[in-house]
Amino acid sequence: MSPMIQSEFRKLRTIRGPWLLLAAGPLLVVAGITGLVQSGGNVHDPAVQRTALSHVALAALFTLIFGIFAVAGEYRHGTATDTFLSFPDRGRVVAAKLAVYGLVGAVTGLVSSGVALAVTAAWWAVNGGTFQLSAGDSWRTLGGGVAVNVAFAVIGVGVGALVRNLAAAIAAALAWIALIEGIAGQLLGAGLARWLPFYASEALGRADITGTTQLLPQWGAGLVLAGYAAAFAAAAAVTTLRRDVT
Amino acid sequence: MSEVEVRDLTKAFGRVTAVRKMSFTAPAGKVTGFLGPNGSGKTTTLRIVLGLVRGDAGEALIGGVPYHRLARPRRSVGALLEATSFHPGRRASDHLRVLADAARIPARRIDEVLGQVDIAAAASRRVREFSLGMRQRLGLAAALLGDPQVLLLDEPANGLDPAGIAWLRGMLRGLADEGRTVVVASHVLSEIARTADHVVIVSAGQVRFAGPLAEIGASNTLESAFLKLTVTPGSARP
Repeated sequence: MSPMIQSEFRKLRTIRGPWLLLAAGPLLVVAGITGLVQSGGNVHDPAVQRTALSHVALAALFTLIFGIFAVAGEYRHGTATDTFLSFPDRGRVVAAKLAVYGLVGAVTGLVSSGVALAVTAAWWAVNGGTFQLSAGDSWRTLGGGVAVNVAFAVIGVGVGALVRNLAAAIAAALAWIALIEGIAGQLLGAGLARWLPFYASEALGRADITGTTQLLPQWGAGLVLAGYAAAFAAAAAVTTLRRDVT
Repeated sequence: MSEVEVRDLTKAFGRVTAVRKMSFTAPAGKVTGFLGPNGSGKTTTLRIVLGLVRGDAGEALIGGVPYHRLARPRRSVGALLEATSFHPGRRASDHLRVLADAARIPARRIDEVLGQVDIAAAASRRVREFSLGMRQRLGLAAALLGDPQVLLLDEPANGLDPAGIAWLRGMLRGLADEGRTVVVASHVLSEIARTADHVVIVSAGQVRFAGPLAEIGASNTLESAFLKLTVTPGSARP
């Protein structure tokens, strides 16, 4: 393993924050699926099964915040200085962060998927439903959910590099998801709104959050979200190379 | 040789020129005191030397090359910039381990430097429990980790108790006597007068004096020379 990657993993392993954040995703999946069943979700309906599994994509909120912490957290605590003293080649530092946090995003998505399968199967069994992996395109839903977790981790790294103030970066990301994109979507109309990142993540993870029916096909949404992730990654590299570390 | 050389360095932040055509050399085997009032450009200069801030003009070289060209930066240069650059939830030994991983420094070196700065007993405590003086010692341990030939230290005595200051003085002298280049930015003139061989006095981003301490004299004269050299026309300073 390269020293840069090794050092990044060591940073993750030696503080508690990342673990709490990464545990939050699967917990949200458990709570979400339980809530779905408790509020009367029909366990005989394949569409409800798909909705249950699509909670994996919602858990990506935490990989987004996790990615933001990866970079803005280093500026917050001043450890960015040490990172750049160890590795003056800042472009490679950004690349290493994207790789490590993308990978951790993927692992988190896989854990959330396993949890989603187990919890869904358990609730379905309790309520006399028939949980079938083949029903409702389960694998497509879970695969899309994992992809959203990866993309959001990468976008988080980008947001953290662009907005180095940790509190501002997190506030901006949450405001975008909770408010701004919804308002922008209404202004743009459903035809254009589906190209926005959170709508695209909804289509990719086959989740039903905004209630809109005019989403991109799953593969198209995957490409769009990959495009956003690439744009944020590029912006992170450019700004990190250019700005002074004070 | 591993001297630190700054040549015609200039840096502006917006409309404020922090460093203006600054030139000096910090020779190997000496402790160089880097002195100047608050906001005189000392920290900015150190950050440019370390490649963290990009100068607008001029150059800063370590052993003849800019920092980003050093093959193994942590083994060539040790830096202490501010006492707050730690994640509060990380254990002291883990902080050093992150740096050791980055520079492929063997883990046993961590115990050595923790012993050297006298905080070995606190190695597995989280940094948030550390006093300012202990953080300062941990920062020094980080600077020493790669056994570098060049040390750039910004206010290293900050937060140290009198015994700590005496210990630091001995350590800096020892490091210079081993042939290393030691640069110490500080406000504590009496301490610099006892430790440094060489001084660079800056004010408003410009060098006012650079040369052997002997050319200035003892501690009381260092202070009067400093005040005379750094007074800015029109300032409120008496």
